[in-house]
Amino acid sequence: MPRQIPHGYAPLSRRQRVWDLPVRVVHWLLAGLIVFSWWSVHNHHTDWHIWSGIAILTLLIFRLLWGFFGSSTARWTGFIRGPRGVVDYLRGRWYGIGHTPLGALSVVAMFLALAVQVGLGLIAEDEDGLFFGPLSILVSTDTSDWARDLHETWFETAILGLVGLHLAAIIFYRVRGKSLTRPMITGDAALDSRAQPMRPGKWWVALICLAVALGIARWVVAGAPGLPH
Amino acid sequence: MRIRFVAAIAVVSLSAAGVAVAALPKNKALAIMHARHEGMEKIGDTNKLIHRELASSSPFAPAVKSGAATIAALAKQSSGWFPAGTGPEMGKTGAKAEIWQNQKDFAARLAVFQRAAVTFNAAAASGDMTATKARYADLIGTCNSCHDKYRMDMHH
Repeated sequence: MPRQIPHGYAPLSRRQRVWDLPVRVVHWLLAGLIVFSWWSVHNHHTDWHIWSGIAILTLLIFRLLWGFFGSSTARWTGFIRGPRGVVDYLRGRWYGIGHTPLGALSVVAMFLALAVQVGLGLIAEDEDGLFFGPLSILVSTDTSDWARDLHETWFETAILGLVGLHLAAIIFYRVRGKSLTRPMITGDAALDSRAQPMRPGKWWVALICLAVALGIARWVVAGAPGLPH
Repeated sequence: MRIRFVAAIAVVSLSAAGVAVAALPKNKALAIMHARHEGMEKIGDTNKLIHRELASSSPFAPAVKSGAATIAALAKQSSGWFPAGTGPEMGKTGAKAEIWQNQKDFAARLAVFQRAAVTFNAAAASGDMTATKARYADLIGTCNSCHDKYRMDMHH
């Protein structure tokens, strides 16, 4: 007969895999590219800034696909939970692996915020008419200028806000004795013994997802030929 | 009284001349800065239109032609846009103070831009789209060469 164990005192099994390699690589590349995008656009490297955005686009497409065909902890359906799931988690009744129901909300928000940011950047142009997002030719100059302003505002509000929340959550859990950073580096974490182990995705599926992402990004860089101008 | 007033003005002008930013009265400086801003903005807006035409599969030649003429005319005017005393110390501007610290370099870059604008205008007038695109890329290069060093963000 299972003994009732209060949350926080659950027996932790030995360290096991929680984040697969694609999830970790995407995470750290995104973190690096967000910093690089910010730095480059403030240091007269708008061309690098645009390429950084294209790289982020590629990562987002890959991650979207990996969320359907990847490891169990990478899948959208694996971690997106309704309000009841979030409440259960907050009451200490969650014994899963991977993103917590609350953390999942943050993941989805970050993904959507970055998608909006990339979308705005793709159709934006700079003030001086010297740099253009690859899809700016599909819209009017007024729309492009509007997109640039919003691109900037969106970064300063939504993106920085979510990054701040993300870092605050890491500190919060760290203070409570749980490192979120280490598993995102090594891929392994000590898990609640009641948790289902991660079902890893296939490496060749990851390659297909990457190929599709690169193909779509290339098409976007070319100005999305085939779409009406 | 009157003599003292005149003397005061003389002292002020002399000390102003001493820092080499003399001569340009404030209202004139601000007028030049305004004209510069309007002119640069017009060049930027024209760039946005030309870029769209040249990126299109069938560029509308008359639009490129008139845009090239607009930029060439404004480029010619730009010689008078950067007199000493129209820097950030005078008012809101995208022009960095470095322009007046490296006047020789700045003047050289501005001249390269002006020549590129003339060459681009000639190419656009000829109707040769391949040459027009190449000369336009050259022109944009000259804009960037200056902006990287001497232009600062001025929005917000």
